[in-house]
Order: sequence, then structure tokens, then C-alpha cells
Amino acid sequence: MSRPVLVRREQVLRGGQPLAFGIGLCVALLVGLVLLVGSGHDPLRVYGRMFEASLGDPRAWSVTLNRAVPLGLAGLAVAVAGSMGLWNIGAEGQIMAGAIGAAWIARIGGEWPSPVLITAMLAAAILGGGLLALGPAVARARIGVNEIITTLMLNEVAIRLVQWLVHGRWKDPGSHNFPLAPMLPDNARLPGLFERAHFGVVLAGVVIALFGVAASRTAWGYELRVAGSSGATARYAGISLERKVMTVLILSGGVAGFAGGIELSGAADRITEGLSNGFGFAGIIVAALALMRPSGVAAVALLFGAVQIGGQSIQTMGVSSSVSTILQALILFGAIAAGVLSRYRVEMVAGEATEATG
Amino acid sequence: MTDPHIPTSPVDATTGNPPAVEMLDVWKRFPGVVANAGANLRVRRGSVHAVLGENGAGKSTLMNVLSGVYRPDEGEVRIDGTPHHFRTPAAALDAGVGMVHQEFRLVPSFTVAENVVLGACDRIVRRSAVESAVGALADRFGLATEPDRPVWQLSMGERQRVEILKALWRDARILVLDEPTAVLTPGEADELGAVLRHMADDGRTVVFISHKLHEVTGFCDEATVLRGGRTVAASLSVADTDATELASLMVGASPVVTERPPDREVGEVLLEVQDLRCPDDRGLAALDGLNLTVRSGEIVGIAGVAGNGQREMAQTIAGLRPVESGSVHLCGEDRTDATPRQRFADGLGYIPEDRIGVGLAPRLSVTDNAVLRTYGRHRRGPFLDAAGAIDHCRDLVDRFGVRTGPLDEPIAGLSGGNLQRLLVGRELVDGPRVVVAAQPTRGLDVQGVKAIQDLLVSEREAGAAVLLVSEDLDELLTLADRLLVMHAGRIVAEFDPTTAERHVIGEAMIGHSSSASPASGDQGSSR
Repeated sequence: MSRPVLVRREQVLRGGQPLAFGIGLCVALLVGLVLLVGSGHDPLRVYGRMFEASLGDPRAWSVTLNRAVPLGLAGLAVAVAGSMGLWNIGAEGQIMAGAIGAAWIARIGGEWPSPVLITAMLAAAILGGGLLALGPAVARARIGVNEIITTLMLNEVAIRLVQWLVHGRWKDPGSHNFPLAPMLPDNARLPGLFERAHFGVVLAGVVIALFGVAASRTAWGYELRVAGSSGATARYAGISLERKVMTVLILSGGVAGFAGGIELSGAADRITEGLSNGFGFAGIIVAALALMRPSGVAAVALLFGAVQIGGQSIQTMGVSSSVSTILQALILFGAIAAGVLSRYRVEMVAGEATEATG
Repeated sequence: MTDPHIPTSPVDATTGNPPAVEMLDVWKRFPGVVANAGANLRVRRGSVHAVLGENGAGKSTLMNVLSGVYRPDEGEVRIDGTPHHFRTPAAALDAGVGMVHQEFRLVPSFTVAENVVLGACDRIVRRSAVESAVGALADRFGLATEPDRPVWQLSMGERQRVEILKALWRDARILVLDEPTAVLTPGEADELGAVLRHMADDGRTVVFISHKLHEVTGFCDEATVLRGGRTVAASLSVADTDATELASLMVGASPVVTERPPDREVGEVLLEVQDLRCPDDRGLAALDGLNLTVRSGEIVGIAGVAGNGQREMAQTIAGLRPVESGSVHLCGEDRTDATPRQRFADGLGYIPEDRIGVGLAPRLSVTDNAVLRTYGRHRRGPFLDAAGAIDHCRDLVDRFGVRTGPLDEPIAGLSGGNLQRLLVGRELVDGPRVVVAAQPTRGLDVQGVKAIQDLLVSEREAGAAVLLVSEDLDELLTLADRLLVMHAGRIVAEFDPTTAERHVIGEAMIGHSSSASPASGDQGSSR
């Protein structure tokens, strides 16, 4: 009797990750085919629509790019921490904290020239996100408190804070008592790029590229790699783990906060409870699929954005939102599963199970 | 696979039973290492049997073969006279062999009872029923435990009892314990001894790995001694032997060829440790007033039974472990509080005991690892000069004969010997003034051992002060100009390697300092 087992490859397949995406996509589309036929839709039309709406023309691209911006920045935030073996599960809240910072500047700087105001808003967004990550960073670095728990719990705090603001202090007097913050002034809006795309696409691209260079080419990135590989080795090499953990977690929060600022200034009219929209949690998947590498984050975020936009578009064809959500999940599942195959190969072995030994 | 002339299992003269465990001519090779080279073991049913040997003697490998974790390359395992080829630990357990590993395999958030029955309970049962069943089993063997306590609340000794209960619950008739007393306080170790005796009297068989001789003479019936993967003494009756004989069997008695040129000149003191004290990871005193000096142009060897502070000594000198009191002087300067990086800059090369995970970063490339100490030199502003780092790495790899694949691939593909060449080369490439080498040749094949030893000798010739910690007494006697024996966190004896007798060194290692020759020269026991 023989059965398949996964065997770790000596080295990760070169170009394995993009290939994995391709395979995952195909398998997911095949499984989705069954689902669509079963629910009475023409799968080719549905797939065609998904593609058209997300990548079919410049307008579709612009919408997809806008969606990829918060996904990519949140993914980068998670990846920065992840490259050191830390898990920032709090990007969702840090996006909110960043948006609060940016919205606050927009409230007081309504008369400022647009470039000054937007720069100040984005700086406040970075500070806001970093501030929310400060507690977990210090607690982790100084006394080893698990950052997964602390960052996760602070999500709730940041989201409630936004609720409190829009229901109370920041409620627009002209909103007929709806819990809505006032619209952003025009000079607080990021300029457009093409079609629907806003300038945040460029900013996000630059930030991701900067981190990509920092991670692979600088001494700071090298120290991060060493610390992420083994804490004891880092100490041996004279790298202060405590300081690295602290800066990396705060930086991670700052990047997520930046995403919140961009989202507010580029895509939203005003700050709302729904502004973070699950981007922070999706960022965890983005970072994991990108193997915690900044260079991969941009590509994964783009795919993720296209899947989301395409998935939403088919709801107008009468495909229920649950089928659309399942399709989106299938595609991501396929990509994750295939990603495993770039690191492992399937071998048939004879006989019963054998224990892996050192 | 087995020799045709291996005899059938001899029958116990008094009981008429075949031996509970027989391992015949077991070979097990790992890349670059032969862990077992024809090891034999025969254990009488109903006895407590000690397997003795220094670290690297092949004890753990042999026990892992017995319990189905490893499959032997050659040789045979017989349980109660029947040959077995275990593919998994579960198969070994089916035949009655249960192992208690050095690292416990328990779920901290589960209770004692839940851990005991985990994976050995085919249907859902009431918690109270399981707890009382586990409690009854524990009482039967005198294993004091509270079945409803979560494991994270337990001491190491209690956790070990849970591991033993796990094996008993699965009805192990042959219990294998891998250095069970390493994690115990002396009081707990005595209790464990009583429990093991009790089990043997109950008709079970206990195989007990240790390198603490007093435990062996305290509660074991028979002992088998391994050295270099071979059995050097099989099933000695403990009643007919003593600690001294066992110690000399463990360390061996082969003639030593010294490579030392006569009348060596030694220079100034480059490393001086004074009255150093520090706790170990459990908070117990690891270094308890350590004094030593190493001069330019000499290799000072540190011998001792594992766990007597050697590890902590190397770490404190390297700056990786804070000291409680005392001082470390490098090249005449007080560097007790200096960081590891400052000490490297002072000329301290440190070869840590744990190659991967301390000395080398596992997932990083060969180049990244080659510049671990000196990446600051390849800085261009905030950037690292990748080409410079690769040049440095290539230079290192060529000079120290490291066989590698592409330099930008992770070091995971390198063999043990090449990893150690890379690490040692990195520490020596700048010509350090002081070298601290902890177990630098452990687990390497013959070629690798020779290469590393030659490097240490050439450092001495170049005038470095070399402190060599090793569990291989032959290595120490070959290389060292002076041999210090460490016991319970301090130096208890000093020997001249050219004249020292092994059994005297062995006695000093087990703490019988009265019989050791008095320390000579400018240092020695702090007493």
C-alpha cells in the first residue's frame, strides 16, 4: 500500500510563489465552476464579469488599485513585524488610530494649503498607528508579553474610540442627528491619479519599495533578519533584541496607521466605524502569502484587491454575496495551498506512517 | 543484516526468562557522524540498568533506536527474546517499550490526568473517572501527583512523574529514561531512584541513562558503559564495581600522543577570571567562585562532567550571561560589563557550544552568517556593501576550507563539519588574542575534528590565549598545556596533561577532590 506524503524541498522552488498563485487560481476557478453551475449561473459569464470589473480596463484597474492600497500597506505592516517573528494582529485598530489622527488634523487645519494639510494628516496617521502599537511594543520588549494578544485586543479599543467620536464629539451638527462625522474639506483629499485612482497608490508603492530596499540592502534590515532567525544569535552578534522588537512593532503600527490616513484622505468622505473594513486582518493573509517579504506584498495585495473588486461586481448579476465570498475565499485558499507546494513536494511512500526524526 | 554467528538470546539462569532487552551490534550513522558503531546492550528483566557514557558517546541515539524513534542502519533489537523492527515509537510501545525523553512532551494547559491519557483513550470518558484511574496508577508506583492539577503549575520533578505515568498508562514493561536526573534537584533524584527500584521490584525493567556515577552506584543493578558509540563494558554488576572503575571506563585509557613541543614559552596573561559567580537558568548557582587565567601561547583545557558550570563559564566570558559578582579581564582590562560586540573588538573569539541558533543564524545565507560579527565594517551609510560582504565570505570559505553551495543560499545545506569550519573561521579570521572554544569538535567526524583542532593549535602558535572546554578527555590531553577540572561551578584541580593519570582526573571530575593532585602554579581551587 502506498500513500502520498509531503517532503520538504531542499530549497524553495525558484519563482515558486508566482507559479503557486497561478495553480491556485486555476484550481479555485474549477471548484468555483461547480459552485456556480450548482447555483444556476453561467460560470463563464460570471468569471468574465469578475475579470472585466477588476482588470478589464483602466477604470477597473483604478478601482482595484485603490483597494490594493490599504491591503498592501496593512500587509506591509504585518510583514515588517513578521520578518522578525513578531505577529502584529492589530493592524485593523492601527488603521483606525491612523485615521483618527488624520481626521483630527483635518478638523483643525481646514484653512491650510492642501499639500501642507495632507502631509500633516499622514504624519499624524503614522503617529496614531505607532502610538497604538507602543504599549504592545514596550510590553513585549521589556517583559515578554505576547504581542498577539495585546495588539489584537487594542483593535477593539480603537474601533470603539471611533464610534465614540462619531456618536459624540465629532458628530456633524448638520447630520440631522445621524452619528456621522462631518465630510472632509476638499483640501484634505488626496489628488486623483487616473480614472478613480488616487495619489495614495503612488505613496503606498513608494513606502513598500522603501521597506523592500531597507529589508534587503541595509544594515538595519540585516539585523532584523538575524534577530528574526534566532534571538540568541542576535545577542551573540551584539544586536539589542529589546530595541529591535520595540522599533519594529512601533514601525509596524505606524505603517498600518499610514494606511488609515491614506484610506481616509483618498477613498473615504469622512471617518466612519467601517473605515478599516477588515483591511488589517486581510493584511495578515497578504503578509503570509508574501512570505513576510515587502517585495511580495505589493503583488499579493494587487491580486487580493482584484479578487475583492471582482467578487463584489458579480453581485449585481444576481450572484448572492455568499457565493461571491466563497469564490474569493476559494481563490485565496488555492493560492495558499499551492504555496505549500513550492516548499514541499509530494512523494508516494510505501507502507505505514513513519515519524519524522531530527 | 545480522551476523550469522550472533548467539541466540541467553536465558536468565535463575528465572529461565530471556533478557527483557537485547541490542546486538547496533550501528547508526548521521551525516558526518557515527553515533553508534556496534553498540550492544543486554538488560535483565526486573532490573534497573544504567547506560553510562560521556556526552556524544551514543547513549541517546541507542535509546532512540530502542524506543523506535530512530531505525538502526545495522543490528538487531530483541524484546523478551523476539526480534523487532520498530518503525515508530508507537510500535515500540506496543512491544512494551516506553521512553521518557529529556525534553518533556506535555501540554502545559492540560491537567496531569489529561496529559497521561492523551492519545491513549479511544472514547470519551468522565473526567473524574480518568482522574481517579490515573491517581490509582500513581499511588501504585509511589508517584506522588495530583491528577487534576494543570501541568504548567508543576515543578520539573512533578512533570517528569507525569511523563513516567504516561508510559505506565500505556502499559510499558520496559521503561527507558534519558538522563532523567539532569532536570532534578538532588532530593528529587533520590525520590526518582526509589520509584524506579519499586518498578523493578514490580517486574518491570528500567533502562536509565546517566553520567552521574553516584546515582548508578546508588540504585542501579547493572551498568553498560558506552564510549565513542561502542559498548566498552556490558552489564557490569554494580555490586562488583565502583565509581572509580566506571569513571575510567567512561573516559577511556587509550595512550595519548601529545603534539606539544617541549618547553613552550608562555607570555602575558590575556584572560583572567576572578571569583566569578552567576546563576544558571533555574536560578541555582552555576558558577560558584570561579578563578582561572590563560596566558598568551597556551591552551588551557577545562574538563568536567556536563552541567558543572562549563556552559555558564563560556557564556559569561563571552558577555552573553550577566554575572552576579567577580570579574573578567581581557588583555589586562576589566571587561566584566562589556557587551559581546565590545569583547569581540577587544580580540575575543568565541566558539559557542550551540553552533546553530547561537553561533550561526539558521535561516540566513552563508554570506550573512560570515559577516555576523563584522557587518559593521561593510556599512556604507545605512546600506550594507553586498559585494564587500560576499568577498569577505569567499575569502573566509577559501581560507578555512568550508565546502558550500552558492554563498547566498541558507546554511541549512551545509554539513556539521562545514558549519563548524565556517563558525570557527569567522571567529579566527581576525587573529583574536583570546579564544574561548566550547565543545568545538563535538559531533564532528574524524576529519572535521582534526581540522578544528589544528586551527586551535595554530592560534596558540600565533600567541593567542585559548580556553578549550571539552567533554572529550583525549582531546584535552592532546591539545591542552594545562588541564583544569571543573566541578560544581569552580576549578577543583589542575593537572599537567603530560603526566596526569586518567583515573585521577576522573576522580576529580566526580568531585572526589581529595584524591586529585593539588593545583599547581598561580591558581586552582578557590578554597
